Amino acid sequence: MRWYLNLSTRGKLGIGFGLMGILFTVVIMTAFSGLTSIKSAQRSLYRQEFANARDFLVLRSNLNGIHASLLGMIVETQDSKMDYWLQDIKQRGEVIGEITQRLQQRNRNDARLVDQLQELYQLGEAFILARDDDIIKMIYAGQTEAAKGIIFGIQNERKEKMRALAKEMGDNAIGKAQEAMLASEQRVAHVVNFIVAIGLASIALGLLTVQLLNRVIAVPLTAASAIAAQIATGDLTVKIPEEKRSDEVGMLMNAFAAIGDLLKDLRRLMLEIKQAADMLSTSSAEILATTTQVASGAAETASAVSETTATVEEVKQTAQVASQKARLVSERAKKSTQATQDGRRSVDTAVDGMRSIEEQMAVIAESIVRLSEQSQAIGEIISTVNELAEQSNLLAVNAAIEAAKVSEYGKGFAVVAQEIKSLAEQSKHATAQVRSLLSDIQKATNAAVLAAEQGNKSVQAGVKQSLATGQSIRQLADNIGDAAQAAAQIAASSQQQMVGMDQVALAMENIKQATIQNMSGTKQAEIAAKGLHELGLKLQQLVAGYKV
Amino acid sequence: MKDSSTEKTQDIDWQQLKRRMAASSAAIKRALEPSDEDIKRILKARAQALAKEPLAPDDPLDDLEFVEFRLANERYGFELRHVREVGPLQSLTPLPCTPAFVLGVINLRGEIVSVIDLKKFFDLPEQGLTDLNKVIVLQSAEMTFGVLADRILGIGRVPLNRIQLSLPTLTGIREAYLKGVTPQRTVIVDAGKLLDSKDLIVHQQVGG
Repeated sequence: MRWYLNLSTRGKLGIGFGLMGILFTVVIMTAFSGLTSIKSAQRSLYRQEFANARDFLVLRSNLNGIHASLLGMIVETQDSKMDYWLQDIKQRGEVIGEITQRLQQRNRNDARLVDQLQELYQLGEAFILARDDDIIKMIYAGQTEAAKGIIFGIQNERKEKMRALAKEMGDNAIGKAQEAMLASEQRVAHVVNFIVAIGLASIALGLLTVQLLNRVIAVPLTAASAIAAQIATGDLTVKIPEEKRSDEVGMLMNAFAAIGDLLKDLRRLMLEIKQAADMLSTSSAEILATTTQVASGAAETASAVSETTATVEEVKQTAQVASQKARLVSERAKKSTQATQDGRRSVDTAVDGMRSIEEQMAVIAESIVRLSEQSQAIGEIISTVNELAEQSNLLAVNAAIEAAKVSEYGKGFAVVAQEIKSLAEQSKHATAQVRSLLSDIQKATNAAVLAAEQGNKSVQAGVKQSLATGQSIRQLADNIGDAAQAAAQIAASSQQQMVGMDQVALAMENIKQATIQNMSGTKQAEIAAKGLHELGLKLQQLVAGYKV
Repeated sequence: MKDSSTEKTQDIDWQQLKRRMAASSAAIKRALEPSDEDIKRILKARAQALAKEPLAPDDPLDDLEFVEFRLANERYGFELRHVREVGPLQSLTPLPCTPAFVLGVINLRGEIVSVIDLKKFFDLPEQGLTDLNKVIVLQSAEMTFGVLADRILGIGRVPLNRIQLSLPTLTGIREAYLKGVTPQRTVIVDAGKLLDSKDLIVHQQVGG
């Protein structure tokens, strides 16, 4: 059975219908051979038996005719009438001869019939001889009675024999024909039976084949069509059964397995389409919003363009003013150049002054330093004085001690010593004061030196600054020259600007037109976005129709 | 900066400056070369001061005369009768193997005198030696030594009955050599006790 399953459908149908065809061929051939045999039997029936029977009948009637004619001749008295009868007798005799000859010719294969025919022929010869040689002459001679005797005698005997023989042979022929008919009918019945048997077998085989083909082809195809119908309803989750067959159904099932893979892809695709549709829906909504914004923007642009047009007119006027101003600036620049030359001379003078200040500053610093050194010398002197005061102090103390040793006598001396001591103390105080003053002077001179240094630096910076200023003024002069040139160029540019502004006005008109077109385009875009939105919704609905 | 310096320069009143300079020069000249009137005035004042009768002491026996000196921001005094002389501290020679309070010896006109530091002896806070540091030479019949002083303040005199005998800031060894405190818060050190003190006699031996 397996091999049958693996056979291709064409092969299966071929085998089924081939078997049927063979059976039909057998039936047709059987019927054909049966009909052919019936046909040949009937042909032999018609050509042999029925012909023989008819010939024998004709023979008999002619024999009767001759007999009658002879009798007629006998009755007739006129010769002319007799000639007519004779003529008839001769014709009939020829017919009989012909028939006899024909029968002999036809039945030369039938030995018994040939013998009987031979006998008939001989009888015929004898009959004809008797008739022509005896009877007819007798009639013409008028010997009617003799003729009658012969006719009713031997001749009638011969005639009856011939008739009996012909009747026998005719009956035989009919019997034969009846036999043949019977055989033919039997054969027909046989053939019919055979055809019926074969037909029944064919029907049984056909039913079997139908059942088999139904099981092998139709049932799986129905299952496949059910799956296909399920897929057709949009159910992408259907399970495809696996079948290992190498025929068309197997191929179909393999194809369905491939479709199953495809369905997986399709499912994924559907999900992606669904997402895309969602995105399309939201995007189109955004586009819609954007187009609305663009539309409002276009409206703003239109108003802005009108404002700009007005502005262009103003700018034109401004450019005219600018041109005049630029000319004015050019003249001013020339005057400024003169002023800068003056400035440069002033700066040079300032630089010279600064240089001399620098030199004087150096002198001042030198003087202050010398002052400082001299106060240092004073400090040394003060030190010496201080030391002297110290020693005077000690001396005074020692004097007091010595005075104390001589007690009462040294009292006056003690007072002097005390006085010396107080002088020494005063000197010491004075030197301390001088020392603090010197310290102040030192601080002041230091500050002065510092200030001089600072001043020197400032002056140097001033010189540098003045030089830089000179440079700056030079640059300023150059710049003013450039400015004058630039002003001239500005004047020219302003002229060009005015021309340009006219062009801008023209361009603004174009922009206005473009804006109007833009607005109508935006409206179309809005409509398109709406369509897109609907498309997205439709797509979502479509995708929703699929079970994924 | 340039502008501000320019302003300062403008602010200077050179005339006033010159006047001030002249005034100071005159003052210096006057101080260096006093006029006859000034000399007369000063000499007169001195003569009057010297001609004054010295204030008669109530009772010379009741007065205590002392040499006042400064040591570590405190004023001390030695009784005048124990003091031989005062002088500047010159050419101090350190002595090895002596206690820390013995600074060294000095040559006082051919006589070798040892010098002690009361700051170390009395455990007072250190105050480094300077050129101003002085020496007070104490003398008794048996003993002569010098005491280092930061500064000699002079001869002081105080009635004996006004000497306060104790001072709460002085403790230990210082209290032992304390004689009293004057109303001017000068600490009178008992120089006699110091001269008799066994603490000052060095009999330290160094092995070898």
